[in-house]
Amino acid sequence: MSDYEGGPANEDDLSLPRATVYKLIAEMMPEDIVCAKDTRDLLLECCNEFIHLIASESNDVCEKEAKKTIAAEHVLTALQDLGFGKYVTEVQEAYDEHRKQQTKDRGRKSTKLSQLGMSEEELLRSQELLFAEARMRFQSQTSQAPSNDSTPASANSTH
Amino acid sequence: MAASEANTVAAAATGTSNLPAARVRRIIKEDKDIFACGSESLFLISRATEYFIDSLVRESYEFSRLDKRKTVQYKDMAKAVQSIEQYDFLADIIPPTVSVRKLATTETQ
Repeated sequence: MSDYEGGPANEDDLSLPRATVYKLIAEMMPEDIVCAKDTRDLLLECCNEFIHLIASESNDVCEKEAKKTIAAEHVLTALQDLGFGKYVTEVQEAYDEHRKQQTKDRGRKSTKLSQLGMSEEELLRSQELLFAEARMRFQSQTSQAPSNDSTPASANSTH
Repeated sequence: MAASEANTVAAAATGTSNLPAARVRRIIKEDKDIFACGSESLFLISRATEYFIDSLVRESYEFSRLDKRKTVQYKDMAKAVQSIEQYDFLADIIPPTVSVRKLATTETQ
């Protein structure tokens, strides 16, 4: 379909995905109560307003600190200022977990290199050895006088 | 009650949001005054919105219960918005109950 996630074509209709929000509502409702269809749609609009409100307030906090990008602390302050302080404690828990996830992902990317068990110098040395070997192979293949541009990259097309 | 919070609690435990980040970001970006929003902030706003949904749903169905109904209706949410100060920003979206007089005047137009 479209290259977006199938969102609305018109920017004015931009809102959270209905199915997702409907599902959340259903989960938050007690067993014996349901939400009328028009009420669900209304809630969807309220979410939009809420996001705009928090974002705008966070931006104000951000500007007061002479920053250009809204940071996490700005959002937390904004929530407090707008009277949603009770969300802060609950959001804080998710925030800490989120940051843990971020560092874990970053750690995972670097372990591949460290798992080799070689230091950077050793890696460089082994690389140079490989280059030298490849160069020798290349020079032995060509019986002509070797060209002066001894860029290892030209002789070395392997990994 | 525990089952209803399962998804939100689980999401909190894993540090994720049930709302799609890209969509939330697009909504935020509609405000031209906003220069940039970090991904952590985006996450926090998403989570806060989920708690907002939870709060508004709860407050609304309290009014349904008071009226001994099993369906949460528009008027329940309207009452919830009116009764809580933090929800003043929603006053324009959920105007208080339209009186019959107002309905009559709109019909004549």
